[in-house]
Amino acid sequence: MTGYLELTGLHKRYGESIAVHDVSLAIGKGEAVALLGPSGCGKTTTLRMLAGLVDPDRGTIRVDGADITRLPAHRRNMGYVFQSYALFPHLSVARNIGFGLEERGVARGDITRRVGDALALVHLAGLERRRPRELSGGQQQRVALARALVVHPSVLLLDESLSNLDAKLRDAMRHEIRSIQKSLDITTLFVTHDQVEALTMCDRIAVMHRGRIAQIGTPEDIYERPAARFVAEFVGRANALAATRDGGGIRIWGAAQPMNDPGWPSFDILIRPQRMRLLPSAEPTGDAMRVEGRVLRRAFVGDRVEVLVEGPGGQLTVELPSGGTLPEEGTAIAVAWRPQDNLIFPPDAA
Amino acid sequence: MNTRLPLLLLPAAVFVLGIYAWPTLLLLRNAFNEVGPTGAMIPAWSLATLRDVFADGFTLELTRNSLLLSASATALALLLAYPLSLFLFRTNSRWRGPLAVVAILPMLVSGVVRVFGWLAILGDRGLVNSVLQSVGLISAPLKLVFNWTGVTIGLTESIMPYMTLALLAGFGRLDRTLEEAARSLGASPWRGFLRVTLPLSLPAIALAGGLGFVLSMSAYITPKLLGGGRVFVLATEIFEQATTNTNWPVSAVLAIYTLVLLLALLALAQLASRALAR
Repeated sequence: MTGYLELTGLHKRYGESIAVHDVSLAIGKGEAVALLGPSGCGKTTTLRMLAGLVDPDRGTIRVDGADITRLPAHRRNMGYVFQSYALFPHLSVARNIGFGLEERGVARGDITRRVGDALALVHLAGLERRRPRELSGGQQQRVALARALVVHPSVLLLDESLSNLDAKLRDAMRHEIRSIQKSLDITTLFVTHDQVEALTMCDRIAVMHRGRIAQIGTPEDIYERPAARFVAEFVGRANALAATRDGGGIRIWGAAQPMNDPGWPSFDILIRPQRMRLLPSAEPTGDAMRVEGRVLRRAFVGDRVEVLVEGPGGQLTVELPSGGTLPEEGTAIAVAWRPQDNLIFPPDAA
Repeated sequence: MNTRLPLLLLPAAVFVLGIYAWPTLLLLRNAFNEVGPTGAMIPAWSLATLRDVFADGFTLELTRNSLLLSASATALALLLAYPLSLFLFRTNSRWRGPLAVVAILPMLVSGVVRVFGWLAILGDRGLVNSVLQSVGLISAPLKLVFNWTGVTIGLTESIMPYMTLALLAGFGRLDRTLEEAARSLGASPWRGFLRVTLPLSLPAIALAGGLGFVLSMSAYITPKLLGGGRVFVLATEIFEQATTNTNWPVSAVLAIYTLVLLLALLALAQLASRALAR
């Protein structure tokens, strides 16, 4: 696939450790892609290589067909929103936003007009003369976004841009950034360790693990059809149940299971907590997957309830909508789920 | 506020009062005394010395010399210390520690020793002149010491370590990410320096400049020895009056005049630093 923004075989090592390992990625014009992964997975290094703040050891970066791999940062025309916002403390909001336009030699009158438009876009009209430290965290975030967007960058890069905001504000900004990104049709790469951010703000997600892209796909792909155990466990939550083989049949927690044998000597089965249900111990379940256990604890989380079940093979969490009747702690219980909700991966070496 | 906290100031307060404030008061008292025909000091409450000192054109020349020398030495030292400090502030090199020590090493050497070092380097048969002459660039030795040039070089070197430390301490607001932000917005490294790094380090520059200036104004050994008796500044004249001429009233008037000048300049530097930090 060819894209508007193309990374091919990007590689970066720091001393002995490989930060980014042959990362290739093609992003279409106007598409928003999240680089999702735990800290240290190489996502920020990848973003910084795109912006020209880090030199790759190998690989190429192309924007709209042009190779920009060796272009210095200030000639790349990319908008970068830093995690700390990096607003210039000695300049007013207007001068911060106009900084890129001044560097590009835009006429003063045009700068004033475009800064005004950019401020209106992020709902901060009228704050031109404030200093960054006089703004709230959310306002600073908006100024940083306006400053990156006002120069009409070819690509917008966001580095953990919402992680310094409190939860409510983060929700609001998520939707706002997404709608601005869509309305401007700007190609965006978004680095985050927050799966909700990745799932809700992007067309596609690239999950990174130890310097490599573990999987790239739509949020549904990533969540419903994880390509690797790491992806299944990092995006969303999953119960891991060890499966054993007994005379050709598969057993979990000692109970025989109606499922096909993948042929591996031993393996884990992962199941999302909300795909499981609870039923009385005696009740039959037909051809569903099923294990027996005892209710260890219940936790009320508002719109849902988490039930911790303990059985012969360990513990698992079942997530139910709140409002229904719940089994008492200590009662024997059966946990059942559909075989098609099994996520099975080969026993990985790593 | 903890009421016992002021107690912590007591040792320092006693020390400053005894070692600094009391002698200064004595000096102030001396400024009003008179000198008899034998040269002995006569206790009095007279403004005659004050009038004489400020009526003398030499005082003006001393002031001008002190201010000019201090200003040029401070400016030179800033030009040298700023890039050095910026490098030390930024580098992750394992040489950072040793380099910082080298940068402030001159502080640890006696002023007299340092001056003799400069004489060996800058004198008529010193390192610089020998090399230049043997290469054939010059026929007669350049006059680099016992004049204005020598004093400027010596002062610059002696205040550089202090200014390096002051700059390093004042660079707190500098942030690499801000320069990266400038780069991402289209500013070349040089433009980014001019528009972000330099403005943010102005308070540090004002502070270091004020310190260097005050140190240059009060320096005695360097103008005395590297000036070779031909460069006259306030500090050397105060010493001459007090020791050679044993004219304590004149020496006291000049000393207090210098002190007031310095306090005014320090206050200005402080104001500038605060205004620039806004």
